[in-house]
Amino acid sequence: MQTVIYAARKIITMVPNRPEASHVAVRDGRVLAVGSLEEVAGWAESGQAGSERAGSERAETGSGDFRLDESFADKVLLPGFVEGHAHMMAGGVWQFTYVGFEDRISPEGVLWGGLKDIEAVTSRLRQIESELEPDAPLIAWGFDPIFLTAHRLNRFDLDQVTMDRPIAVIHSNFHLMTVNSMALEMAQYDRNTNVMGVDRGEDGEPTGELQEMAAMFPVMRRLKIDIRSLARTEGGIRAYGKVCHRSGVTTATDLINDLPLEDVELMASITGEESYPARLVPVLNAHTAPAEEIAAQALALREKSTDKLRLGSIKIITDGSIQGFTARMRWPGYYKGPDHGIWNIPPEQLMTTVETLNAAGVHMHIHVNGDESSEVAIEALARALRKNPNPDHRHVLQHCQLADAAQFRKIRNLGLCVNLFANHIFYFGDKHYELTVGPERAERIDACATALSEGVPLAIHSDAPVTPMGPLFTAWCAVNRVTPSGRVLGAAERISVEDALRAVTLGPAYTLHLDHEVGSIEVGKKADFVVLEDDPLSVDPMALKDIGVWGTVLAGRLQPVS
Amino acid sequence: MSSGDQRLPLTVITGYLGAGKTTLVNHLLRHADGRRIMVLVNDFGDIAIDADLIESQEGDTLILANGCICCSMGGDLFYALSDALDRQPRPDHLLIEASGVADPTRISEIARAEPELRLDGTIALLDALGFAGLVDDAQIGSSVVRQIAAADLIVVSKSDLQSPDALSELKVQVAALAPTARQIEASFGRVPLEVLLGSLSSAEVDEIPQGCANRDHAGHDHAHHDHTEDHEDLYSRWSLSRDCIFGQQALAEVLKDLPAGLLRLKGFVKLDGRWALVQAVGGRVEIESLPRVPDHIKHTTLVAIGLKGQMDTAELDRLFSR
Repeated sequence: MQTVIYAARKIITMVPNRPEASHVAVRDGRVLAVGSLEEVAGWAESGQAGSERAGSERAETGSGDFRLDESFADKVLLPGFVEGHAHMMAGGVWQFTYVGFEDRISPEGVLWGGLKDIEAVTSRLRQIESELEPDAPLIAWGFDPIFLTAHRLNRFDLDQVTMDRPIAVIHSNFHLMTVNSMALEMAQYDRNTNVMGVDRGEDGEPTGELQEMAAMFPVMRRLKIDIRSLARTEGGIRAYGKVCHRSGVTTATDLINDLPLEDVELMASITGEESYPARLVPVLNAHTAPAEEIAAQALALREKSTDKLRLGSIKIITDGSIQGFTARMRWPGYYKGPDHGIWNIPPEQLMTTVETLNAAGVHMHIHVNGDESSEVAIEALARALRKNPNPDHRHVLQHCQLADAAQFRKIRNLGLCVNLFANHIFYFGDKHYELTVGPERAERIDACATALSEGVPLAIHSDAPVTPMGPLFTAWCAVNRVTPSGRVLGAAERISVEDALRAVTLGPAYTLHLDHEVGSIEVGKKADFVVLEDDPLSVDPMALKDIGVWGTVLAGRLQPVS
Repeated sequence: MSSGDQRLPLTVITGYLGAGKTTLVNHLLRHADGRRIMVLVNDFGDIAIDADLIESQEGDTLILANGCICCSMGGDLFYALSDALDRQPRPDHLLIEASGVADPTRISEIARAEPELRLDGTIALLDALGFAGLVDDAQIGSSVVRQIAAADLIVVSKSDLQSPDALSELKVQVAALAPTARQIEASFGRVPLEVLLGSLSSAEVDEIPQGCANRDHAGHDHAHHDHTEDHEDLYSRWSLSRDCIFGQQALAEVLKDLPAGLLRLKGFVKLDGRWALVQAVGGRVEIESLPRVPDHIKHTTLVAIGLKGQMDTAELDRLFSR
């Protein structure tokens, strides 16, 4: 087996003894050595242990039985990014037309420019409309009214695109949509409609904006907007791999999935192809059956794991979202606006579910947004672990956005991990400051610095497609904590670039029980790298998000983006 | 109704853990009375369908011998509802057992939004022994209050285990949370189907004697029902069939004054030149224009069920002869 030595401008390893290096040797898809050329070349010259066909291969350059590859001579290598909380539908959603504010690149590599006003949105829709089949609805996604403030997008804007086919523009949070008159008509919405979430103007007529599932349901049903299938088709799985690839991610979660057997087989087959660009970690939805059955299903799934498909963990959702006022908040509750704090599972049922799954040795991801849900989840885990000590359990509190310092200390004492929603600081930070939780608690949202100083294993995430996948952007959020209004939200919670990079590599690998295989560049681990155009440790921290991603290396296989 | 309305009626059943939702659902399925009820449950952990009712299982779907179906939503209401609407043949009635902490309005609003669904009502269960403690619970209280406030009918379970004083205190407390809802005491979920589910079979409509007002017809033949429970005598029925035409405004006024013990009222009212479908559950009244009515309906036809001793049938007679 040939050994390839990659020379790089810099290799950032996440390993304390040699945090930076110039060369990495790869053999059998694994890291053979990291260091200087002289150091790593020693492997090629000495004995060829582990190389069954020593001498049969000729070095192209360099000496001995290795090939020196200088493709990355001006690039910077990091461990492949690990996205610890995202969703497979981040790929399939691109079958709809992107109309968001920021530039985004589709899985196919097409740059979709950010749309800075409503004119631009309707103009793009008009263009796409002209290319559609006669009977097809026009469905768009990614629209974010926070940034387009001239007026609220309404049906009249969309009627200018067409009156002859239904249009639905799904907002970036997936909780709202704006539709045209034809779609309203199909749903039989008119001035006599009195349904929560069907927005009406001063004239009493529907404006076209539909808020939350009840109001959206009739439109989604009639336009056949099937969000579930986005994550279940071959196309969706492939598109997700491309989304990961473009953002430098080599290991990605799909953080809730019912995982019927046929889907698992499809994922195993697709990820099994050498060219599939990422390792996937789909996590079982624990809400579909009693805890005992979920435990059995998770343990059976674990056995179905392959090299690039890792199974066996489960997810429990305890509450809603902060921006939707549905996260469960402790006293004094929400700052302004309605208190809709909603449990997704009764606390006492959470207690028994967590106990059962922990007793069975199942690894858990628990979605907690508000500080009351984090409190209850911590208590549930404390009781479960007291009853059935489970060393090295690494249960993860996902999002955990409003935990305070005392909760982080408990989290540490219980051996729990957190995966904080750093992208949220940018996307929703201003709203949290002004509206949902108020200035003081907004400043401690996604408290990365507190988590680290209290010694809690930390990962940070995008929750794609809720916010775009891009670990460099996620790191940028944790490092700078800047919001669109220019506010620095909680200066003391900013973390160093080094720490942020760890929180998108080794940190999430640890939360997935994969840190022995991925997340750092060190001997024995998978040769999974992200290849960057610049050095994140030397650029201005505000430029971290702008560093180009050349591509990735997966198990030693070079995967350029373009 | 047998015709004139093709929408699928949806009933939401809400209540905290231990309030008796599972018992009530089992009772309903056991006394489905020929209706093909489809039950959506949050997960199978919440509900245990009595084994003797089950004929077969297909994945997450239980097929019952009497034509009813029970499905797990797996946390995804949207798809469960879509699948229910697309199911062939479509069930007669859809029942959603919400999770112990769900906000039932998030479900019932879908039925109000979706043209192919009709909100039949929200039924909240509460445990007479545990309720006071739950309402004061810092973590659960607001969810429980929301469930009660959203309800049209409130079924108080385990009332026989609570002292009369505490029970009347409870009723006052609940009434303050849900002023227009009706409260029913019930043990083991024994509430007549026609109270829980408003949809009325054509057979029931046929039974209404045409041409005179009826009150409390104790001899009413319910042969097609399995009303063997001893709780049956807690309810009284009233019906009306009369050749009279209501003004739209007058009808609305009448329906504002329905007696307190009335649980459900349903029927066809002849207006000037057209028909109205009238449905009341608890204090919530809906009047809808109908293009046509079933063939056998010749004139204004209404049925009501209420709590015996609390639904003043004489008052109903007076109201509808105004």
